[in-house]
Amino acid sequence: MMREANEKEYLLSVLARNNPGVLLRIAGLFARRCYNILSIVAAETENAEYSRILIVVSGDDRIVRQVDKQLCKLEDIEEVNVLDRGKAVVREHLLMKVERTPQNSEKLVEIASVFRANILNVTAGSMILELTGDAGTVNSFIELYTPYRILKILRTGSMAMSI
Amino acid sequence: MPTAGSGKTLGGNVMQLTGAQIVMECLLEQGVDTVFGYPGGAVLPIYDALYEYSGRIRHIRTCHEQAAAHAADGYARASGKTGVCIATSGPGATNLVTGIATAFMDSVPVVAVTGNVTRDLLGLDSFQEVDITGITMPVTKHNYLVKRVERLADTMRSAFRIAGSGRKGPVLVDIPKDVTTQKCEFTPRRPEPFPPSPFPGDERFAQALDLLENSKRPFFYCGGGVVSSGASAEAAEFAAKLDAPVSCSLMCQGGYDQRDGRYLGMLGMHGTKAAGEAVGECDLLVAAGTRFSDRVLCNANLFARRCKIIQIEIDTAEFDKNIGADLKLRGDAKAVLAKLNRLLPQQSHPDWMRLAKGWKRDCPLRRRGGPDQVSPQDVFETLCRLTGGDAVITTEVGQHQMWAAQYYTFHSPRRFLTSGGLGTMGFGLGAAIGAKLARPDATVVNAAGDGSFHMNCAELSTLARYQIPVVELIFDNRTLGMVRQWQKLFFGRRYSQTDLGGKTDYAMLAGAFGVKALKIAEKREIEPVLREALSCGGPVLVDCLIDKDENVLPMVPAGKSVEEPILEIERGNG
Repeated sequence: MMREANEKEYLLSVLARNNPGVLLRIAGLFARRCYNILSIVAAETENAEYSRILIVVSGDDRIVRQVDKQLCKLEDIEEVNVLDRGKAVVREHLLMKVERTPQNSEKLVEIASVFRANILNVTAGSMILELTGDAGTVNSFIELYTPYRILKILRTGSMAMSI
Repeated sequence: MPTAGSGKTLGGNVMQLTGAQIVMECLLEQGVDTVFGYPGGAVLPIYDALYEYSGRIRHIRTCHEQAAAHAADGYARASGKTGVCIATSGPGATNLVTGIATAFMDSVPVVAVTGNVTRDLLGLDSFQEVDITGITMPVTKHNYLVKRVERLADTMRSAFRIAGSGRKGPVLVDIPKDVTTQKCEFTPRRPEPFPPSPFPGDERFAQALDLLENSKRPFFYCGGGVVSSGASAEAAEFAAKLDAPVSCSLMCQGGYDQRDGRYLGMLGMHGTKAAGEAVGECDLLVAAGTRFSDRVLCNANLFARRCKIIQIEIDTAEFDKNIGADLKLRGDAKAVLAKLNRLLPQQSHPDWMRLAKGWKRDCPLRRRGGPDQVSPQDVFETLCRLTGGDAVITTEVGQHQMWAAQYYTFHSPRRFLTSGGLGTMGFGLGAAIGAKLARPDATVVNAAGDGSFHMNCAELSTLARYQIPVVELIFDNRTLGMVRQWQKLFFGRRYSQTDLGGKTDYAMLAGAFGVKALKIAEKREIEPVLREALSCGGPVLVDCLIDKDENVLPMVPAGKSVEEPILEIERGNG
């Protein structure tokens, strides 16, 4: 994804009615108005009629104001909040499978324990790890495992909740 | 089962009705008496209900669903009410799309009802199945796929509420065939009032007054929102109170009385030099009901760069979209202008008004052509004189569209119906059909180019079948004139694919459809032929022969400022 130098990442928390196609409406709006989605996480809220959708957008202030206002025009959108990172907890969730050999096994466990990551599954040839943290923590976690042959990564976008 | 004649009223009676009957009842609830459409397999139950309700809902069948959508749009633009069109699934639905997109770009309230295959066939690539809600998502305010008949009535009601409230626009309701045959309880309900529009707080008005009272050279610019909110009277009063010159966008032609001395002409790519000068020289631009389209701004960086801007707009997403504003007043143009009129003391700017009127005097719209040549400018001026400036003029897209805006002096709103945003060739004839049904008392003329005419000319048969007295006025230059003009200016006169050949015999074509045909080949024929067309009382086509090198001027080339339009194009051997 192309990013301009003056662009920043913004966290949008969107409350939407759980009608069919609501995610398509949001994604379609972003695509046709040329806004950049970096990640999107959506799930039902405590009220089954609503979903909370966390979108990370790259852009400048003007674009984010436009995104906010265009989203609000969608009939199924109840509320849009641009979150202040300083006043929110932000978390990503990672599942990662790395190659395991008799030689590296101990080292793999050691890194995991430093990060307090969970080891979900171990076979003779692989290990599945789980980590929750902010983007920076998840990135350095992945970086430390890179020398040991990562087989697969599954990572959610940012979830965030204002304090 | 109750029948249409059994006196169902809004009395709170619970009835067992089919989905198709519920659609009819919901249309009646909303005061709809005319719909446009085309039958087909998936809407058979809806058309069966139309048969039953034919005494109360008139259905006009066009030749093509696109024209039905344009007719619903023209009906809405001419009347201010929400237009309704109906089409079957698959190609019927996709044929509506251009019409829906046209209405969307120009914020016109339309409810489009489409049939779809039965629910058990949805998603299986069934015959004439298409995901029309998916397809129309980007060009509707909202759309629905109704999967339960119990939800149908409220969905129809929501569709009308969304289409007609706030910034208006089209809504599509897609109904699988078996939902229209299922029965359920229906309780009639009167339409609820629309949710209140946003309105600026007192502080905003105080800021506005500060800017308005301190301005030495204010300029008032009206967009299509002035027409759709019915704010013409408020706009006129505001201009007088502010003592400012006025300009309108293409979408607001007639929203402000063009005979008024304050009016400087249209603003934008084919606007007047005077309006461009005023944007450049004013110290305050008050813009009402406008989205500042690129065809108005021309170059956003050079537009209104020496003045402050007050923007009155109901859609908050239009603030800071194409251009920034110093003060944003979010609300309905009519309500906001009315309050400003109450608050603002009478202003006086005699020197500035004198300067503005001087620009208007010194840079009038020009014309050329020999003494015998039929100039389109003359045709529109004559048409305007003969109709008292009060006809409904629909247009297609191209040179004739701009000449209509420039040379027909509109003085009332909802008289100039044009596809401003999407620029849809083929819009005008369908729109004229809708306009005439909405305003049977009005003279309705569709101004067309010969290029646009060929797009949807089959609708002449709709005029003939229903004997709809629309004047189809073709500016016949045997070329795609506006594209040719661009090729002339920017592509070294390489006229790629714009020469139409001119082989169509319009009299024979009209005759084949059962439409009267007339011709204007010489200047002296303009008035008598137009008189005959306007008084013949039935559908009529006028073939008006004009020079293919007639240009639309002024013209602001891409990227240039509205202050510096091209006023003259050298004649070539083109």
